[in-house]
Amino acid sequence: MSKAIEITNLTHKYTQSGAQEVVAVSDVNLSIEKGESIGIIGHTGSGKSTLISHFNGLLKPTSGDVVVDGTNIWADKETLRNARFKVGLCFQYPEYQLFEETVYKDIAFGPKNMKLSPEEIDERVLRAAEFTGISKSMLEKSPFELSGGEKRRAAIAGVIAMNPEVIVLDEPAAGLDPAGRKSLIDMIKAYRDSTGSTVIMVTHNMEDIARIAERLIVINRGKIALDGTVDEVFSRSDDLVQWGLKVPEITEVFTRLHNMGCNVPRGVYTVDEGVKILSRVMRGGAGLG
Amino acid sequence: MENKLIEIKNAYYFYDPEEEGKEPEPALKNVSLDIYEGEFVAVLGHNGSGKSTLAKLCNAVFEPARGTVTVDGIPSDSEENGDLIRRKVGMVFQNPDNQIVATIVEDDVAFGPENLGVDPAEIRKRVDSALKSVNMYEYRERQPHNLSGGQKQRVAIAGVIAMQTKCIVLDEPTAMLDPMGRDEVMDTIHKLNKEMGITVVLITHFMDEAVKADRVVIMDKGEIITTGTPREVFSKVDFLREHKLDVPQSTELCNALGIKGCVLDTDECVEVLGRILGGAV
Amino acid sequence: MVKDITFGQYYASKSVLHRLDPRIKLVLCLLMIVFLFVCRSFPALALMVVFTLVAVGFSSVHVKMIAKSIKPVAVILIFTAILNIFYTKGKYENGDSLVFTVLGRFEVWDKGLYTALFTMLRIISLVIISSLLTYTTTPTMLTDGLEKLLSPLKKLHIRVDTLAMMMTLALRFIPTLIEETDRIISAQKSRGADLDSGGLVKRAKALIPVFIPLMVSAFRRAYELAFAMTCRCYTGGDGRTRMKQMKIAPRDIICLVICLLVCGGVIALNIFFKKVI
Repeated sequence: MSKAIEITNLTHKYTQSGAQEVVAVSDVNLSIEKGESIGIIGHTGSGKSTLISHFNGLLKPTSGDVVVDGTNIWADKETLRNARFKVGLCFQYPEYQLFEETVYKDIAFGPKNMKLSPEEIDERVLRAAEFTGISKSMLEKSPFELSGGEKRRAAIAGVIAMNPEVIVLDEPAAGLDPAGRKSLIDMIKAYRDSTGSTVIMVTHNMEDIARIAERLIVINRGKIALDGTVDEVFSRSDDLVQWGLKVPEITEVFTRLHNMGCNVPRGVYTVDEGVKILSRVMRGGAGLG
Repeated sequence: MENKLIEIKNAYYFYDPEEEGKEPEPALKNVSLDIYEGEFVAVLGHNGSGKSTLAKLCNAVFEPARGTVTVDGIPSDSEENGDLIRRKVGMVFQNPDNQIVATIVEDDVAFGPENLGVDPAEIRKRVDSALKSVNMYEYRERQPHNLSGGQKQRVAIAGVIAMQTKCIVLDEPTAMLDPMGRDEVMDTIHKLNKEMGITVVLITHFMDEAVKADRVVIMDKGEIITTGTPREVFSKVDFLREHKLDVPQSTELCNALGIKGCVLDTDECVEVLGRILGGAV
Repeated sequence: MVKDITFGQYYASKSVLHRLDPRIKLVLCLLMIVFLFVCRSFPALALMVVFTLVAVGFSSVHVKMIAKSIKPVAVILIFTAILNIFYTKGKYENGDSLVFTVLGRFEVWDKGLYTALFTMLRIISLVIISSLLTYTTTPTMLTDGLEKLLSPLKKLHIRVDTLAMMMTLALRFIPTLIEETDRIISAQKSRGADLDSGGLVKRAKALIPVFIPLMVSAFRRAYELAFAMTCRCYTGGDGRTRMKQMKIAPRDIICLVICLLVCGGVIALNIFFKKVI
């Protein structure tokens, strides 16, 4: 079976105002299997946004190849167009791309560009709206009447409606309040569980990524600094700090407890997991304070 | 901490105009809050809870529909008084791009004092010292659009410092920043409060930013539902959840384990758990 | 991408040109552009070209930046050159002109060649001089300078300070909105929007998904900005002071004298040498 995305020796350079040449991505090799759930982390300016813009051919590599679902996307105009639909890219603050008169029409923009039949478009819009919790009455409203969180969902629905094999989300929860953040991550999780699509999420928020990703890729200075399971990556908290990143708070607590000689494991990434482990340890050992 | 700087009494605020006989949904409902000189107050609430509206009452850009707002003895009931109040209470917003006016960092910091009619030589002094206090002095001749989000926010803060206001109200200043930017801005805000004695009102939905405040005010549906020290407020984990708020992971963990007292950050959490588990503290 | 636009960009440095008073710089820039058009003979133009190159030298702006500023007018340059080469016919007054070659229906006269060369040099110098102004003057200084120069208009009840503020804000938001445009284009392309093919009508229509979000965002920004300005005690300009005061220094006088000498030279060379245009 072909890989979802396969990138070989990707380098991207551009010239900044003035005459400086900037290497945003340098010799990256990356292979993403179908159905994987991946987190891409890196501080601002690490090159992660440049990297993901190559996944659907928005940016052309200075050198190297991008192969999506077995075809080189830069082979011709047709393969490039297909890449846009196979890899759904959802940018940071996607609500700023909304433009249609109604939410329905806006979600239908992608499918329409795919030249699908009206029935098929209708089906996709309704399905995408269901995934993202957009109600029937909201579909008929103007996108500019929605609340911030609803706009965000509508915009993500616009990408989901293209039925992409891979969905790439850049900071999908940025700027939302804790409740909005949690329900958005839950939504992405549910989407992935029911469709089996490949999900790639770019974020600074380690708590969010710990809830959703199985594999983490750390980008630093335009290169892949680390690529491994969540355990492998979060176990190197010292390196992460050096790259301008953190581990989830709960992971830090457990790592420190472990290092103090307490009988707890290091690799704990969610509060629920932590509570389970600690209540077991505490019941077996010393009583509560 | 004796002097009341901002006094909000039974304030109501409506965004929608009043219809015949029917009162629209208020954005603020009977809100009373005193803010003392030198205090660091964090106002928490989910989106749409009314916290940003409250912020805008503090510097008189909004006038309450009912009730009163008094800042340093001046009631916010006229436009002239509003101008006077804004000389005492500065404000920083969420989106750093939409509050920077000038094309050069130092010119932007000078904008406030220029509006106040301060003497040019004095403005120069204020601008330099404001930029130094937010660690942006080396960037004084840069163009704002080439700065990071955290740097832009610090420039915006310097712009308020240069006006020498008594109080600074920050409306979700870190919501659009990455973790590094957030740390930079939070450090700056604390420095402002501790070292320069500026009163701080921080509007946020990040719990960990409220942990170090003197006082926490929680809002929901346009009302203040509880206030207290961070320890008092964060011990009510379930109550906060009901109001769509979250607590820091350390607090949540210790609360779920039934540990008495309230843990606020990782250090405290490790200490408490370490003691219980018998690790070498 | 839209990002490549260099107009209005400032090039940070501490050169002599950077330190000149913006009012003087504005006036001199205008004067020299006028004198580019006063030039009639090659020696006069040569003087202006030398002046321009010396100014570039004193500005410490990177040569690549200068080249970049000429790039956008390359099409105009080629177009005017072609027009001049093929369509300028006839003799000089003293009669010594000749047909170079005949290309089918077109005759190429030496007068055409000279005119083409002359116009190209003129346009290039013009672009360089005006971009030197924006490269060496911060937009704030530029608008402040303009405000001071236009201040006599205040007597006619024209709000010069408000106009200057509007200009500053426009300059401040150009880069922000350019970035925003790039972002929206990327987002719509990711949803399969096809912006680069089809006829004029189709292309114009395809821009709607870019244009509407851009407008919405520009209005939102304007609203927030107005709010932020109120919070910073901006009440419309009365009673405002300025941090940066403008003062005429000896170097400004020296520059003024040099420029006047060059202008005098241009007039003299126009009289003594053969007119090309």
